[in-house]
Amino acid sequence: MKNSHDQADASLDGQLKPTRRRLLGWLVAGINLVVAGVVVGPVLGYVASPLRRKAKSEWVPVLDEAELPVGQTREASFVLRIRDGFAETDQKYSVFLHRTPDRVMAFDPACTHLGCRVKWMGDKDRYFCPCHGGVFNADGKVVSGPPPKPLEEYPVKVEDGRIWIQKKV
Amino acid sequence: MPTILTPEEPTVRPVPEPKPEERLRRDRPSLGDWLDLRLGWWGFVRKNLDEPMPPGVGWWQTLGNLLLTLLVFQFVTGFALAMYYSPSPTDAYRSVKHITEEVTLGSFVRGLHVWGSTVIVIVTVLHILRVFFWGSYKKPRELTWVVGVIIFNLILAFSFTGYLLPWDQKAYWATVVGTRIAGTVPVLGHALMLLIRGGEEVGALTLTRFYASHVMLLPALLMVFTGLHLYLVRRHHIAGPVLPQKGRPTPFYPVQLFKDAVVVLGGMGIVVYLALAFPPALEAMADPSGTDFAPRPEWYFLGLYELLKIMPAGYEVVATLVIPGGISLGMLLLPWLDRSPSRHPARRQWIIVLGTAIILLIAIMTLKGILETPPPGHGSGHAGLPVTLDRPLA
Ligand code: HEM
Ligand code: FES
Repeated sequence: MKNSHDQADASLDGQLKPTRRRLLGWLVAGINLVVAGVVVGPVLGYVASPLRRKAKSEWVPVLDEAELPVGQTREASFVLRIRDGFAETDQKYSVFLHRTPDRVMAFDPACTHLGCRVKWMGDKDRYFCPCHGGVFNADGKVVSGPPPKPLEEYPVKVEDGRIWIQKKV
Repeated sequence: MPTILTPEEPTVRPVPEPKPEERLRRDRPSLGDWLDLRLGWWGFVRKNLDEPMPPGVGWWQTLGNLLLTLLVFQFVTGFALAMYYSPSPTDAYRSVKHITEEVTLGSFVRGLHVWGSTVIVIVTVLHILRVFFWGSYKKPRELTWVVGVIIFNLILAFSFTGYLLPWDQKAYWATVVGTRIAGTVPVLGHALMLLIRGGEEVGALTLTRFYASHVMLLPALLMVFTGLHLYLVRRHHIAGPVLPQKGRPTPFYPVQLFKDAVVVLGGMGIVVYLALAFPPALEAMADPSGTDFAPRPEWYFLGLYELLKIMPAGYEVVATLVIPGGISLGMLLLPWLDRSPSRHPARRQWIIVLGTAIILLIAIMTLKGILETPPPGHGSGHAGLPVTLDRPLA
């Protein structure tokens, strides 16, 4: 196919055969592509680096077992030393603990809708999300509102009289 | 197409300008000539000042120029802010506090930037509405419109990334929710969220990512697309009123440029007033462990926020992706959806009705969001909860 360049400039470099012209044109395009790729490729990989990070799990004690009677829900907080990108920080977290007659449940306070922190209202026996009206019961099940899933549960163990949860960091 | 346009015949004929070659031959050219012979810019300036304005063009066509001016101001105040700002979770909050409380005129400069962003969003919407109702997106201006839609999305991206930078409670939690929205995209959602956040949680890497985008990537893109937009606006000339009016076109300078200047003055006046009367606030520093903060986004995202409230469980992707994505796509494709050759609203009723309905719905949802969301400063505590508690507990 002939484009307007081939025709318009033919008089300027009559020495060059059209095929040769086109070949050189393709070579220029190819070189530019390689040059751009050399910069863009590595930068994309660099930007995507967080996709490769593997989370570790850690057990942390969060509360004395004696402080959580059966049927109760409590908020506990704990501190984990985490790597936050370039920074090492002592990050404070909260967790909701609930004891049923046969076990202890631990819930991540992040609403499963879009991540606002739910609040436990003991008098209503419900968790309320301040954002879009999500409501959960003491077992973390959705009662009303938009959240699609129950509150996320952490693995729990009771050891040495303390409640431990396993958190991914 | 008319070439030289003068509103009326001048009484004194101007001396014709000497041709460049003649001026070049002069022994002692004036500095202006010397520069012009090298830069060749005077012809460009002249061409733009003489740009024909069809009769009926007036105040509605000043909004684009106002946007341009406001954007330049954002760039200047943003540069100033960046000099005292530090994008890390330990320092960001402190540096913004320092700007607001200690730097000379810091609160004012920050106020200009914060209020400027809000005014830009409003003026952009007005500009879009005027182009929509005038039908100016039609052939041959389709790409002017498409580039405009891209610019609009860039502006929203500016506001989303900028909102996090002060690293206060409001900034942090709005970003937690905002980035989770990306996570609702089917299949790719989680990866997308990791890419935006730079990790599982909003943290140091989110801040540096948002900062780098806000001050490098987005300004560069905005400049490219704004330049393209202006080039296209000039290339196709202003469309004029829907029904051609009697009279001859007038040159851009001085009548339209004067109106532009008046509107720029008014717009800047509003931004300056807002910055002085409502200095920008800073809430408590971001606390990722806090459970007593009700996040709220920037006010123009509140319509989306309300939409999320009414979406039934399991359908959040409708509110986060389908509806906003559909509106964006519809905007992009508008020139091809509405194919009627006439720009007259009566000749393209369905798109006018549909467009107006969507605009009204967005306005109502935004208003509802504004009314139901507590004002800044009441952020901690039980903000938002009264609404929830009114509902019967199933
Ligand atoms: C940074 C943002 C923007 C700037 C600086 C800008 C600038 C301008 C200017 C100076 C004009 C000519 C005067 C006027 O009509 O006001 C114009 C016209 C136009 N703009 Fe924009 N604009 C922006 C955003 C947008 C957006 C978001 C859209 C649409 C989604 C858009 C669509 C158009 C169209 C189609 C025209 C041609 C109007 C006509 O010919 O009558 N612009 N713009
Ligand atoms: S984040 Fe909890 S209801 Fe939306």
